[in-house]
Amino acid sequence: MRNTLKLKIFASFTLLIAILAIAGTISIVKFRSISNSVQDLIKDNYKSIKASKTMLEALEREDSGVLLLMLGEWKEGREIINAADSTFLKAFETTKHNLTEKNEAEYIQKIKTEYTNYKAKWKRPVVKTDKQGNITWYKTDIHQSFLRTKKAVDSLMTLNQESMYGEASDLNRKATRAIMPGIVSIIAALIFAIILNFFINRYFVGPISDMVKAVKNHQEGDKELNVNITSNDEIKQLEQAINKLLHRLGRNF
Amino acid sequence: MRKEVIIKYLGYVLLLNAVFLFISFLISFYLNEASSIPLLYSAFICGTFGIFPMIFVERTGVINFWEGLYIVVLGWLITAVAGMLPYIMWGGEFSLINAWFESVSGFTTSGSTILTEIESLPKGILFWRSATHWIGGIGIILFVLLILPQSKETRISIYKAEISSLTKMNYRLQARKIVYVLTIIYVSLTLLETLILNVFGMSFFNAINHSFATIATGGFSPKNLSFAAYSSISIEVTVMVFMILSGINFGLIYGTVLLKKENIFSSSLVRTFLIVLFSGILVVSFKLYLSGTYDWWTSVRYAAFQVISLGTTTGFATEDTAHWPIFARIILIYFTIQCAMTGSTSGGLKFDRIYIFFKLLAKQIKKLKHPQGVFVAKIDGKRIEERIEQQTLVFIVLYVMVFFITTILLTTMNVDGETAFTASIATLGNVGPGFGDVSSLGNYADLPALGKLALTVNMFLGRLEIFNILVLLSIKK
Repeated sequence: MRNTLKLKIFASFTLLIAILAIAGTISIVKFRSISNSVQDLIKDNYKSIKASKTMLEALEREDSGVLLLMLGEWKEGREIINAADSTFLKAFETTKHNLTEKNEAEYIQKIKTEYTNYKAKWKRPVVKTDKQGNITWYKTDIHQSFLRTKKAVDSLMTLNQESMYGEASDLNRKATRAIMPGIVSIIAALIFAIILNFFINRYFVGPISDMVKAVKNHQEGDKELNVNITSNDEIKQLEQAINKLLHRLGRNF
Repeated sequence: MRKEVIIKYLGYVLLLNAVFLFISFLISFYLNEASSIPLLYSAFICGTFGIFPMIFVERTGVINFWEGLYIVVLGWLITAVAGMLPYIMWGGEFSLINAWFESVSGFTTSGSTILTEIESLPKGILFWRSATHWIGGIGIILFVLLILPQSKETRISIYKAEISSLTKMNYRLQARKIVYVLTIIYVSLTLLETLILNVFGMSFFNAINHSFATIATGGFSPKNLSFAAYSSISIEVTVMVFMILSGINFGLIYGTVLLKKENIFSSSLVRTFLIVLFSGILVVSFKLYLSGTYDWWTSVRYAAFQVISLGTTTGFATEDTAHWPIFARIILIYFTIQCAMTGSTSGGLKFDRIYIFFKLLAKQIKKLKHPQGVFVAKIDGKRIEERIEQQTLVFIVLYVMVFFITTILLTTMNVDGETAFTASIATLGNVGPGFGDVSSLGNYADLPALGKLALTVNMFLGRLEIFNILVLLSIKK
């Protein structure tokens, strides 16, 4: 089959377009993946980290409330404790319904167990009982329970923070994988264009210039059109056609 | 010189890369790895650039020597550039310089690595990394010559540039036959080693990766600890046997298999090569044992593996040699300089040149004793041509000069003396590991970027032989 100029040019540009189109598609897919990862990061980990912080703050307030009860400040103490308890339970519900990491359910269960134990200790009356002003009870019983609950919440927060750090590193890798095909395709397209320019000069422009020169030489006396066209396309046909034309003209004159 | 013909041949080289990149992609795709896209896009880019010249360049005709030389040298360069594509698109430890270093090290079968966490890489990338060894081992140009139907003259022009002049002297076969001989032996040895390693308990994936690296005398392992990760005597013995076979002239292996006159047993070069290797093993074993580093059998086991590994330019490891006594390390450095035989897949100085050098030394001593006498140096009864004698001496001097220059260059970048010296010689000899920071279980990751670039130049010079590069640079346009 004769390779026409049209086919050659079409094939070249198709390849060039394919290089750019595929790189573009890869970059779009990868950037979408980055976007999803960012959303996951916010949805999955940040939500749990924020809820854990709220639980820790609530625990601290509950601890202050217990100290107020020990000082005999029943009303103020109970108000603080009840408000903190409600905040804690709300944040706990958030983490309970946002299980994204492996074994996260076990962490949640641990918090529930520890908090239930802690709550059982300050739920019973403190004011006007032997617990009021009893620093030993606070130190050995309630404070230890408070620390265990705090540790359980801390563990959940660390789990999500570590996962978040991992996700951030993964995002960095994903960004490289989204950008690099673009950079590679730009460089490849540039090299492609340089080679295409070379081929156009070598196989199209060069032979046409040679033919122009040869026709000029013919006008000055050369009988044949001495151009060595190696390709098998319209340029070759043109050379053959000019040669035939010159032969006919030579016969007529 | 016809640039379009050179471009067309470079396209064939890229097409071959595209095939192996596509196989790597299939592995990644099958295992559902994230490296699928970088590998597929790299295969696509290589394939596109491979097909593109075919649209325009219809007939190539006979290729002359200069065109052949350009095809070979640029073929290696372009292959190394194509090889780094999946690495840079994967990212991680692969910065631009690191990707270039790993790719050049792979194709030149050096086996020096910048990776610290090899096993964390996807299997597709690991396969590509080993495949670069395998492609480079036989010389990508030989692949092209084998695959494409070309005239005899074309084959000769390219193979002249690709194969060392010493190999030509040794083979005494037609260029066309050399291509087939090399390929048949290369593929057979690879399959055989894969099978044996698999039988001895290595997974098929690791077996094929290690076989690619062994037969190419490369050294990349898919394991962080190289062969130390297996600690299996049967696996180590298998690899040692195949390392020795890969370090011997393939023409002689072919002759042995077909019971020809020129075979491994009739060659004094092979005999001397093996004697030197076994002497090295004995000396290092005694040193390790006497210094109390290991017990006797452990000394022999580790010494044998390391001496064969470095003496055949492979570069695998079963132990970190950085802690061995200085005498043992110096012996190993000698083997790093010596390299394996011509006609094998190894690069560097090559044992044959050292052998010829000693033959010439003996000739010179005789001449000093008998100034009027006429003496000729011979190998297996055949006279060494004067042209080969001169080339050998000049090559050795050039070789020493290059590794001194690189050593000095590295020390100016605050690299310590031992690391700089051994890294230069290990990369120029396409061996892989050196000593100091770049020891057998270490890596090249911490060297400065410019130092890494200089070492990749060494790898090319070692693989392509310094003369070819000098000839190419001396061509006047």
